[in-house]
Amino acid sequence: MNLEKVVFGFFIVLAMTLNFGFFLGGIDNPTHHHVYELFAAIIVSLIATVLKFGDRTHVGAFLLSTSLAADLQLIAAAILWAALDGKMEASHLTVYIVSLSGGALMANFVSVILLISETISQRR
Amino acid sequence: MDSILFLILRRLRLPLILIIVSFAIATLGLTLMPGIDAEGNVWHMSIFQAFYVISYTATTIGYGEVPYTFSQAQRIWTTFSIYFTVIPWFYGIGKIITLLQDTSLRQAMSTDQFARDVKLLQEPFYVLCSYGESASLLAKALDEKGMRVVVIESQQSRLDELELTNTKSIIPYICADAKLPENLVRAGVHHPLCSGVVTLTDSDEVNLAVAVAVKLMRPTLPVIARAEREDIAANMASFGTDHIINPYTLFGEQLAIRTHALGTYLLHQWLTGVPGDTLPPPENPPRGRWIVCGYGRFGKSVVENLEREHLSMTIVEAMPELTECDTCIVGSGTEAKTLLEADIMNAVAIVAGTDNDINNLSIGMTAKELNPALFLVVRKNRRHNNALFKQFDADITMQPTDIIAHECLAHMISPLLAQFLTMARNQTNSWANTLISQLVSAMGETVPETWVITVQESAAPAVVELLNDGTKVLLQNLMLDPADPSKQLDLVPLLLLRDNEPMLVPHAFTLLQANDRILFCGTSNAKSIQPLLLNNIKILTYVVDGIEVPEGFLWRYFKKKFG
Repeated sequence: MNLEKVVFGFFIVLAMTLNFGFFLGGIDNPTHHHVYELFAAIIVSLIATVLKFGDRTHVGAFLLSTSLAADLQLIAAAILWAALDGKMEASHLTVYIVSLSGGALMANFVSVILLISETISQRR
Repeated sequence: MDSILFLILRRLRLPLILIIVSFAIATLGLTLMPGIDAEGNVWHMSIFQAFYVISYTATTIGYGEVPYTFSQAQRIWTTFSIYFTVIPWFYGIGKIITLLQDTSLRQAMSTDQFARDVKLLQEPFYVLCSYGESASLLAKALDEKGMRVVVIESQQSRLDELELTNTKSIIPYICADAKLPENLVRAGVHHPLCSGVVTLTDSDEVNLAVAVAVKLMRPTLPVIARAEREDIAANMASFGTDHIINPYTLFGEQLAIRTHALGTYLLHQWLTGVPGDTLPPPENPPRGRWIVCGYGRFGKSVVENLEREHLSMTIVEAMPELTECDTCIVGSGTEAKTLLEADIMNAVAIVAGTDNDINNLSIGMTAKELNPALFLVVRKNRRHNNALFKQFDADITMQPTDIIAHECLAHMISPLLAQFLTMARNQTNSWANTLISQLVSAMGETVPETWVITVQESAAPAVVELLNDGTKVLLQNLMLDPADPSKQLDLVPLLLLRDNEPMLVPHAFTLLQANDRILFCGTSNAKSIQPLLLNNIKILTYVVDGIEVPEGFLWRYFKKKFG
């Protein structure tokens, strides 16, 4: 039992689950996707990224890159939302945002799989 | 570079997380606070608007309350946010600045930069494992000759000096311990273009460690090392160190050469000097009885070498029991009494050879007062005392650091030059004087360039082609000005090496053969023109036969057929 590992795993899994929660729902239905959920997903994903800094192993580097991919797409979704809110039809905008968050979800998913596989390979 | 980036990221983990969390809470809170718009309706900030406000508040820029004047609730939250976000922000900035000033990080960065600079070197280079007095002279001379140098030095103050020196090309340097093999690797010991390692530190142990490490890592790489102690020198030799330099022995030898063969000495100084410098007019030491003050390692070497020249000697030494000196006059030599005891009135010369510059000057002054006709040799230990010695103007001022630098240069410029100088030492003084007058008439009194050409396909294709055709090429042909073959280039061939048989100062009518190696010395202008003759068959044919070779294939064919 290691507190560092607990925090590390917690944030990586939380990043994925929040992302999934936001992604879940009709792709063009604005009421299914709450802005605070995206906000939380971004913040947790950023924290997860920073937690991965400084690990020089091969797995560590790959974990960091998946996190960066997720951040990039989530932040792109947030910028789209901020810039285009009210300027285009809500259902169209939602499609863009949710599909971007879907991309981020894939990256977060890979990240969690890596974490699980590394944990299993340690056998401790 | 990678490791440094990771180091920065790892250290910034805590401040970055603090900034993210505090910004997130402040942004979230601001969107929840009810505001009142221009029409008096209740409105809530969007997440983006809140993030915008928090961003400029936390960084203390502060644009004011946009888009509407804040409500009381929003102001309360903003007040809280200011204290809550500004502190982590400054903590983060402070951490970054501390990190940039961190000595270990800066050390890592400069080491990294150094290794990269060395890796990117495209020309042959030498590694100098110190930047003391002799090494800095050496670096300057090599730089003047257009050779690249890399420096490892453990004292930052010396590197500061290097940084302020004007050099032709950039000298990469690192502040590190040369004893550690990893630093030698960083300095390019494994680099394919590394042409040798020179270790001239004050400590014999360091020099030994470097020599051994280099010889183990890359046995074929030439190593020049300084060693003062016999046992260390023997140890170095057992590891195959190519040249071991003992400054004290060298000095004695040089002084002896000066007393019996001034021409040979001059030739040595001249060929190993910095190109462009002029040589000071030499003094010829007198024969007769000498007084040697100071019988340390330096004095011993002087005495040993001068005795070989059959000069009689009186030794003055302050601590005879320490220096194992049997028949000496006790005293430091700085006071008239001791010098008179040494019968200074009937001596022809005095060597002030203690390891203290001020004492040496004082010995010189006293001696000169007692006997103004005396020939004065003074040992200079520190370069900082330059001004004093210049003012004093002894007949010979000997500085070990100069001697070391010249000796290293002789080996580093080309192995052929070292061979030439060894052979020259065995020649008579009049031979050397003739050669000097020949050199002076060819290129004046400035220090010349020296270089080697090899009659091989890669280095001199034109010569090889003519030789293969059966044309006779004379050494003289390589010494003519291509623009006007009635004129000579300002150069002199010093040595021709054929099948390991050396020919000292070969005659101009010597026939060249394949694989000959020739050592030339001359002006830098001549050095830059000569490759035209070596590479361009048309120019060389014209110089050899006076025939213009036809340009194209067709013309050549016709010429063969009908010519």
